[in-house]
Amino acid sequence: MRLKRSTTKCDDLFLPDFCAMRMVFVVVIIAQLAAFVLALAPLDIPLAQRWNNLGMISLYVQWCALGSCTVLCIVRPWLCGMTNIQAGIISYLLILLVIVLITELAYWLIYKPGYEASQTWHIHFLLRNVVIGAIISGPILRYFYVQNQWRRNIQAESEARLQALQSRIRPHFLFNSMNTIASLIPAEPQQAEDAVENLADLFRASLSDARNLIPLSEELELCHRYLDIEALRLGERLQQKWNIDTLPRDALVPPLLIQPLLENAIYHGIEPLTEGGTIEVTGQLENKKIAITIRNPLNHNSGQQIARGNQLAHDNIRERLTALHGKQGSLQIEANEHSYQVTIRFPYQNEYEDPDRR
Amino acid sequence: MKILIVDDEQPARTRLRGMLQQLNDCEVVAEAANGKQALEASQTYQPDLVLLDIRMPGMDGLEAAEHLSKMDAPPAIIFTTAYNDYALSAFKTHAVDYLLKPVRKENLLQAISAATRLNRAQLQAIGEAETEHTEPTHISARVKGNIQLIPVNTIHFFLAEHKYVTVGYVDGEVLIEDSLLTLEQRFPRHFMRVHRNALVAIDHIAALEKDNQGRCHIRLKDCDKVLEVSRRHLPDIRKFMKR
Repeated sequence: MRLKRSTTKCDDLFLPDFCAMRMVFVVVIIAQLAAFVLALAPLDIPLAQRWNNLGMISLYVQWCALGSCTVLCIVRPWLCGMTNIQAGIISYLLILLVIVLITELAYWLIYKPGYEASQTWHIHFLLRNVVIGAIISGPILRYFYVQNQWRRNIQAESEARLQALQSRIRPHFLFNSMNTIASLIPAEPQQAEDAVENLADLFRASLSDARNLIPLSEELELCHRYLDIEALRLGERLQQKWNIDTLPRDALVPPLLIQPLLENAIYHGIEPLTEGGTIEVTGQLENKKIAITIRNPLNHNSGQQIARGNQLAHDNIRERLTALHGKQGSLQIEANEHSYQVTIRFPYQNEYEDPDRR
Repeated sequence: MKILIVDDEQPARTRLRGMLQQLNDCEVVAEAANGKQALEASQTYQPDLVLLDIRMPGMDGLEAAEHLSKMDAPPAIIFTTAYNDYALSAFKTHAVDYLLKPVRKENLLQAISAATRLNRAQLQAIGEAETEHTEPTHISARVKGNIQLIPVNTIHFFLAEHKYVTVGYVDGEVLIEDSLLTLEQRFPRHFMRVHRNALVAIDHIAALEKDNQGRCHIRLKDCDKVLEVSRRHLPDIRKFMKR
């Protein structure tokens, strides 16, 4: 089972979703700021009158703003199929149309009954409002466009980074496994078959789309398949101890997040030891944060080598965790003369976040 | 032809043994799982050829090859390796035989017919290129025609006298032919120069003492030997002792 990041069909449209509460709020704020400007602009008006004006202007401007919001929300599915220029022009015209309608409404409902207004005053009132609306809404649309471009760039960059960081399985492991399989074929064909299947699963995972997240259960399954292959090669030298009962199996993780740590533990910890040793995997969930620790014994003669050889895989995992979880994702190393342990921490998350709400 | 197979992985050894059994004139006399066992087996069985894995725990293949080359009648060596791009270029440039795992039968045949004895220069050049090659774990000395291995961490000091270097270690003293300079370069983390003619194991230093004539000596743990410190090396040692 793979989960793909949910993508609305409207991803390409530069306009934000005006049906969303957050966007309505943003529009209301912008409209209110515009209302302040309009109320402050005229000279030589007494303060009481100014307050009065602000009330009327706010009412009018908010009507225009919320009206535009509603219209843009309704026509959104229709705008989706268009190019940005088409959608931009149409939404601009729609906003102006809303302003015309609201102005007319205001004129007929509020001014007409109360004041003696001439035909010329009506025309001036309409034109003035439409021009102000046109001047204000133009830059706002432009702002949404620029913001959208900026966000898409960021997204593209982080996706490219994730893909570049995609975990790769060591060639050393591939060739050693091939050698093991070759030696198993004549005597233990069943084991050889299992090993080929396990190897296929591992490479499928390492070649998969790096942006896909997989449930932790699936990653742990990959880890077991990996260790099964290594156990054929290392025999009694490889012992395992798992203590991960409290880990939520539905937590989403990038594929091959844990496996490279096991690979390091074997390559730097178990292989250099004549007698082999035990790899311990511990995991727990605390305060909605997952911590997984992989610990291996250390041949202290090769202490220096460890730091250097491990570096690549560690940097890679750390960067992938940061790309996904920001500061909440971390990788920590503790080493002493006899053991080496790596702990990764990241927030528990079992469904895709809506990128718009991040 | 007597052959010794050295690999830390059982399946790898089984496969090579299977292939060799199908060849004429090839007899697998022993198997070993690391460099140390390889050396012991070589002295017992005197093989003509050793198929030697490079990455092994304890003592790796390159170090084992170096000790093997000191034998009276050193065996020919063919290295086997799964993957290591840096080292392979060194092998090629120095015409040392190697086989890539999984080994092909025709390549194995070819290598066996072409196998020659390695010389020290070749081994040293590969050792330098092999990035993961660690400091050797043992010093080898020839004692009555046999190769004796002395674990590096049991050595207290090296003392140059005339043509030879005396190795002082847990079980006594033994003479080797390497120069102090080579030893110093090969074990930069373990030994420290205290005098023109002496290296001391850093882990075995007990104290720095001054006698009534103003000369400095180093006293060692678990060893009665007292080594003189030259004035030239005194500042370095003082600096080190303060740490």
